[in-house]
Amino acid sequence: MLIRLAFRNIWRNRRRTLITMFSMAFGLALAIFFISWGAGVYARLINQAVRLQAGHVTLEHPGYRDAPAVDLFVPGSSKIIEELSQWPEVERVKPIVLGQGMAKSGAGSLGVAVVGVLPSAEAASSPLVKNLSQGKYLADNDGPWCVVGKKLALKLNLGVGKKLVIATNDVGGNLVEELCRVKGIYDTGSDEIDTYLVQVPIGFARNLFRMPEDSVTQLGVILRKADFQKRVLKRLSGHFPAGRVAARAWQEVMPEVASYIRMDKSSNWIFQAILLFLVLFTIFNTMLMSVLERRREFAVLMALGTKPSQIASLIFFESAFLGALGCAAGIVLGGVVALVFNVVGIDLAWFVKEGISISGFALSTRIYSKVTPGILLVPSILVFAAILVVSVIPMRRAVKFSIADVLR
Amino acid sequence: MDAIVTVSNVVKNYGQDHVVTAALSGVSLRLEPGDFAVMAGPSGSGKSTLLNIIGGLDRPTSGSVSIEGRELASLSDADLSRLRRDRIGFIFQGYNLIPVMTALENAEYVLMLQGAPAARRREKVLAVLAEVGLSGLENRYPRELSGGQQQRVAIARAIAAEPALILADEPTANVDSRTGDSLIALMRRLNEKGATFLFSTHDPAVMAKARRLIVLKDGLVESDSEK
Ligand SMILES: Nc1ncnc2c1ncn2[C@@H]1O[C@H](COP(=O)(O)OP(=O)(O)OP(=O)(O)O)[C@@H](O)[C@H]1O
Ligand SMILES: [Mg+2]
Repeated sequence: MLIRLAFRNIWRNRRRTLITMFSMAFGLALAIFFISWGAGVYARLINQAVRLQAGHVTLEHPGYRDAPAVDLFVPGSSKIIEELSQWPEVERVKPIVLGQGMAKSGAGSLGVAVVGVLPSAEAASSPLVKNLSQGKYLADNDGPWCVVGKKLALKLNLGVGKKLVIATNDVGGNLVEELCRVKGIYDTGSDEIDTYLVQVPIGFARNLFRMPEDSVTQLGVILRKADFQKRVLKRLSGHFPAGRVAARAWQEVMPEVASYIRMDKSSNWIFQAILLFLVLFTIFNTMLMSVLERRREFAVLMALGTKPSQIASLIFFESAFLGALGCAAGIVLGGVVALVFNVVGIDLAWFVKEGISISGFALSTRIYSKVTPGILLVPSILVFAAILVVSVIPMRRAVKFSIADVLR
Repeated sequence: MDAIVTVSNVVKNYGQDHVVTAALSGVSLRLEPGDFAVMAGPSGSGKSTLLNIIGGLDRPTSGSVSIEGRELASLSDADLSRLRRDRIGFIFQGYNLIPVMTALENAEYVLMLQGAPAARRREKVLAVLAEVGLSGLENRYPRELSGGQQQRVAIARAIAAEPALILADEPTANVDSRTGDSLIALMRRLNEKGATFLFSTHDPAVMAKARRLIVLKDGLVESDSEK
């Protein structure tokens, strides 16, 4: 009976209920939208970063992380690639030879990262290949060719077909130099990458650093889904003989990206908390108002023998119904908005002409929001739980009065 | 026979410390089963205050009230709620129906509180609504009823659970005199079937119909006469 009464009561002031529902829905939808959008940005950032660099999980020499050097390599890479490629979670494994060097041309010289890659693997996964603005990307059987960034080409006055000398130390510490020609120039929009990264065929890089056949600096394991990372890391721990190969999470390999996401999340968190608090306040305010203006009615109910606890339950049910309606509306509205932007994306090119780059990784300006059940449900569940808690106040206000005074 | 209501030496003061209003200054009276008592007296004489105290809606400053031999001061709030639910019916000056419930639901509210089975409840309430002349209007909401009709629903609500005592504060004050007459006639009929009534009024026509007239003045019983 109380439940039926509660349900009718919330529809009594239809306009107020609808306004409350709508503003709750609006607030929740906004929260859901921002969370899903943030998640979309992070997912995209992670996806681009791991594909451009060394995968969701990176296999490398155990000592490499602390003191990166070309002599800390992983031998016998093709066997590992072959094996891991069979794993259902793994999309592909790309071999990488990585070292520092100087790029020299007639116009000057600049410190660069020399990245030896397997061009076919790169072409299939790296965003860099898609951003080639001049010339062609490397092919697997290429000899001394390289691709450089637009900024580096500008500084060293390079063009497609021009010569470039790379000087570095080999695994034995000897000074070595090799000549190569520019095959393509890419433009990712990120200054860091466009001046710093020189890609060469992996064979050329091994030769340059005098690394043994089939050895690599890193194996970048690209997963079918970012969520598989934990599972794969678990499977990899203890997989290799101790001290030979270490498996690292991308968060360890690219700490700047991980810390950017962490910081961005925590600043968003404050914003979300304020938003959810406002949503909570809306319904709290409505409930308090509706209780205060019905005191006379509660006094009548109590005069007829209704117990204060029954009145309090009535208010509790009303809060719960109204809260559930508002949260449901919020989930629906937020879900629709998030799904729309999940499909069409938001093009930020209008706002940021230069393109977006986050800790050195250029992102496309079209961002797609990411929708998961958690993103949809968690804000509403939090708000709903909070509603049940704060409804204690209107509940108490509904029974705390002198019946005689109110009925007078 | 035991009294339904015993009021002894009830004093009620409002306000604290400096400005104290004495609403009741020592009222004693007994209501016997079957009484149809009308309380009259000038405005501010303490009629509402006394009804509230008898109904356990307010507590006296001193003195005691018992209903069917149970001393109200000794009852907890929960016991008071139960006493009101099971033994006392209230009729208010403003009809004070619950707007989201139909006439039928308003009238059966107390029976629902008592947990009476739905079928028996329906049967009982339909009979009571017929008794107060509302047959055919059972499913209307209060806003769809006239003032007099609403007050009939309120009377039905007060009597449906067959309380021992029905307290009414100026039940006819908000309706025209013809409706008022018919409401009093209705209450008389119910009284003849055994309900005990105590109500307040300003209306001389109503006082004329009383079987017992209690006149309050300045918080004291000025006269108490059977007719
Ligand atoms: N809550 C209160 N605070 C202070 N004084 C009060 C309060 N309630 C009633 N009084 C005073 O107590 C006295 C009795 O009031 P009560 O309402 O019982 O009179 P009444 O006989 O019912 O009058 P009426 O015929 O106008 O309804 C009045 O003087 C009134 O001002
Ligand atoms: Mg009065």
